[in-house]
Amino acid sequence: MAKTFLLEVVSPESIVWSGRAEMLVTRTTEGEIGILADHEPTMAALSTGSSVITAEGGERVTLAIHGGFLQILRNEVTLLTDRAEIVEGDRAAAAELAQSLAEAGDSAG
Amino acid sequence: MASAELRAIRRRIKSVQSTMKITRAMELIAASRIVKAHQRVSAAQPYTRKMAEVVGNVGAASGGAPHPLLEHREVETAGVLVVSSDRGLAGAYNTNVIRMAEARLIELAGQGVDTRVYVVGKRAQSYLRYRGYRIERAFLGITDTPGYGDARAIANLLMNDYAEGTIDSVEAYSTEYVSALTQTAARWPILPIIPPEKEEGAGEEAASFGYSYEPSAATLLGLLLPRYVEAAMFGLLLDASASEHAARRRAMKAATENADDLTRLLSRQANQARQAEITTEISEIVGGAEALTQG
Repeated sequence: MAKTFLLEVVSPESIVWSGRAEMLVTRTTEGEIGILADHEPTMAALSTGSSVITAEGGERVTLAIHGGFLQILRNEVTLLTDRAEIVEGDRAAAAELAQSLAEAGDSAG
Repeated sequence: MASAELRAIRRRIKSVQSTMKITRAMELIAASRIVKAHQRVSAAQPYTRKMAEVVGNVGAASGGAPHPLLEHREVETAGVLVVSSDRGLAGAYNTNVIRMAEARLIELAGQGVDTRVYVVGKRAQSYLRYRGYRIERAFLGITDTPGYGDARAIANLLMNDYAEGTIDSVEAYSTEYVSALTQTAARWPILPIIPPEKEEGAGEEAASFGYSYEPSAATLLGLLLPRYVEAAMFGLLLDASASEHAARRRAMKAATENADDLTRLLSRQANQARQAEITTEISEIVGGAEALTQG
């Protein structure tokens, strides 16, 4: 079985997802990044887009994320997002929702 | 025929009872709101805590890179943010926080420091405006259920003014939700940012491992710090909102109890008045009958 790491996706209003994951694919301002267990300590800024978590056991969760930060430290990954939502469906749907989150966020902010 | 006195008392009983209905309703509403507000406070905590941790780590790992929001300046103009509620009937909730802020405003004026006042909630707005303070900006209609967007708007305005040099520091006066029974007005320094204590050991570990940054540490810090202020502001608003509901519930509970006591007292008076009336009537009849038999 693949090695896992602790993943937490938090937004200002709630914990969106938390648990052990095998892999996380997300989008930073520099481009897409895939994270497996024992990644080196990293800080990155997130951009708007979709993220896919492969949870322990292989279940996939798709998230729409708008902005925030990614911290990897001691095999603990934290996504501090401005807005995040779990999406039913594929990554295209997630990307679309992320875009709408971004627009909603800009009008609210 | 009820006498004038009896009628007056009955009218008061009615008015007290209808007030009691209102206060009881407000008490119940506030009680249900506290639960929600409290959940929101707890839900926001992980983000705030993580944010503090991340800022602490990046701050430690970037070796104290300078940033305008971290820089302490000579304070010529102090920004003061007062967080109150839009509606009253919440006991001493508004008074406490507004008095505390006003005392500070007077103190600052005494030190020859200019002040710019920002308020949240109508109560602080009308109180301070009446005392002749110029209010830079008032945020209304958000204290009931503050959203993150509201916190962001306030934080951005303050940071903008701070960056432009219109104000050299920002402190907020707000109410902390300690428990359902205790809420205390408190002062929170907002700007310049006092960096959170780095997590025990984490900073050194990160520094020794060497974080890899995307983009650079300084850029990241520049992105992180405003978010940190927003998160702090959001926490402040949520706490204030929970405190407001708790204070209102307590005030309304006391009011309902008072109304209950008053109703009891007044109905006793009404009974007395009624009894006195009957006694007068009887003695009149008896007196009349007596007069007839004697005549």
